[in-house]
Amino acid sequence: MISRLSDDKSRAAIAASIEGRRVDARGLLFRALLQACLLMTLALLAVLLITVAFDSTEQLTTRFWDFLGGTLRSQSGDDKLGVHQGIYGSMWIAIIVALLAFPVGIGGAVYLEEYAPRNRFTSFIEVNIRNLAGVPSVVYGLLGLALLLNGQIFGLDRLTGGRSTLSGGITLAILVLPIVVITSGEALRAVPTALREGAYGVGATKWEMIRTQVLPYAAPGILTGTLLSMARAVGEAAPLILVGAVTGRLGDNPGLFELSALDDRFTALPIVITSWTQQSGRDTGFAAAAAAAIVVLLALVLLMNSAAILLRNRFEKKRG
Amino acid sequence: MRGHGRRRAAMVVSAVVVSLSLLAAACGDDDDEDTEATTAETGNSGGGEAADDDAATDDTDDDTDDDTDGGDAAAATTVAPMTETEAEMSPVSGEVDISGSSTVEPISIRVAELFEDVAPDVSVTVDGPGTGDGFKLFCAGETDISDASRQIKDSEKEDCFANGINNIVELKVGVDGIAVMTNADNTAVDCLSFGQLFDLIGPDGEGASTWAQASAGLPDAPLDIFGPGEESGTFDSFIEIVLEDLAEEAGVEATTRTDYSPSGDDNVILQGIQSSDTSLGWVGFAFAVNAAGVKLLDVDGGDGCVTPTPETIASNEYPISRDLWIYVNADKAANNPAVVAYVDFYVSEALDQAVSEVGYVPLTQQAHAETAQRWNTRSLIN
Repeated sequence: MISRLSDDKSRAAIAASIEGRRVDARGLLFRALLQACLLMTLALLAVLLITVAFDSTEQLTTRFWDFLGGTLRSQSGDDKLGVHQGIYGSMWIAIIVALLAFPVGIGGAVYLEEYAPRNRFTSFIEVNIRNLAGVPSVVYGLLGLALLLNGQIFGLDRLTGGRSTLSGGITLAILVLPIVVITSGEALRAVPTALREGAYGVGATKWEMIRTQVLPYAAPGILTGTLLSMARAVGEAAPLILVGAVTGRLGDNPGLFELSALDDRFTALPIVITSWTQQSGRDTGFAAAAAAAIVVLLALVLLMNSAAILLRNRFEKKRG
Repeated sequence: MRGHGRRRAAMVVSAVVVSLSLLAAACGDDDDEDTEATTAETGNSGGGEAADDDAATDDTDDDTDDDTDGGDAAAATTVAPMTETEAEMSPVSGEVDISGSSTVEPISIRVAELFEDVAPDVSVTVDGPGTGDGFKLFCAGETDISDASRQIKDSEKEDCFANGINNIVELKVGVDGIAVMTNADNTAVDCLSFGQLFDLIGPDGEGASTWAQASAGLPDAPLDIFGPGEESGTFDSFIEIVLEDLAEEAGVEATTRTDYSPSGDDNVILQGIQSSDTSLGWVGFAFAVNAAGVKLLDVDGGDGCVTPTPETIASNEYPISRDLWIYVNADKAANNPAVVAYVDFYVSEALDQAVSEVGYVPLTQQAHAETAQRWNTRSLIN
């Protein structure tokens, strides 16, 4: 073979690759370029994390539990300064998002993937859902403002109590709904056709096929998508400001699972971070407090993501 | 069948998040009735307010008399020890909802924090979307008190009246002053006019590296400017008070030049001023007044040079000062003892402490007494 290619250029390439004498300069350059890209991303992330971690050490090492249990205060040196109101608010919002966006979003995805006929109308709907996932979050805040606070349609403000935890939660549930539909839809599409046909083959109805084959198989994917969307919701600040999240001082401090928190004023971790960052112009110590709040928020989001990974692994084992 | 069972188990696990939430809901079941009751009440009060308008106004009159007596008693013993106030206020409970200017916000929060020690059962919520947004909420009847870094506009007043919010008490609570500074060794400049400040710090000063280049007639010395960054309220205030009108006349954007050294940290600004003999900068007055190595410049706002002192700022003689206000919905106060107790405390001696702690200039004694008087007599705006 090699002798027949003796005049060919490829012979040199093959020889070089076998003997390793000549260096594939372009290939190496490309590889180095790709590595540089990755390194740059990691470096940016590292700089961000290191700065935040460095700034937050004072608050988090000297008064960790006080900081977790504290409230919004007017001065950064206050003993009672802390983030518990933000944590509670963010957890309530996560619960509302889970209760509203997950069932509706997964249900919508199951209908679109399994039941809806494939025609122009459904593909039009799918395109729109994808567009909705790309709409800036502030726009959802405006929607929440019109719908839940000003009650321009259906008088929904009576239900939510205006500037309340419920308004914030519902707004963010609407925000992540398209993401839930898309990620769930993709997980459902990845289910092998053979599984469906097998279920039909043993006489299952459509509902039985979906319940016993499709959903369990797609569960890890659906779960990953939904929990990641939850992490997105927990990190949003802009829409919450529009629906009346409190930036200055939150009077009431109901316990974590007191339902009265639902129609009361609220704040959330990203709001606390925004507010303290703004106040750092007046009182420099707030910059450190904001950094500490960022660490708390990162920890919360990482916790959620690792929960998603753990659950996914568990499901995948079962599926295998 | 075993496989089927496993999948079923998987589905059960998949509901973990949902069931956790349900558990949470179940835990709170005891509170359910209370919550519903509260919601119902809220709904009713929303509808009933307009109808009860006359009655409410009458109530105000009655309450005003009662409170005036109490207020006078308090005013008579202005230096009353804290314990007496405590005994007077401890049974009060309820909610106070405040929104408005982010400049005044820290004062209202600080007062609320001090008030917390006196009346722990009163829950005060303070928000700072801005003076205009605050009035929108206030005139829609959503807040009890509105913080403002300017007086209410006629259009806003009409908006309030149109919504049946006729009884509004306007209270001056403090003064925001901005000091213009140079190095203590700079003897060439003592006083700057608004026009000169606009030349030096406004957008037209961009690129000017000496005082003379920026504004003819000033010394030919290097110009090093230090000031707060855009995120700072002092930055906005300086633009609003000093630069805005002149920028409009000159037909340029109302902002500062971009080639100065901004900092969010007032200490850094002061260090900058100290570092250069011919520096120029501005910070909140309360921060600059006691600093070493800096000289506070007089400012001419059109009526001659005025030296910044707590007195000239409190009296608005010093031109880079503005009054800070709160607006109280008197009808809401009449129906909510928590609001009355909070504002009583606000206009008491706690005010000066709160105002200076968050970096503003307290009112003069006379102005403070006037504020207390206005509140105690429920002097309404019209």
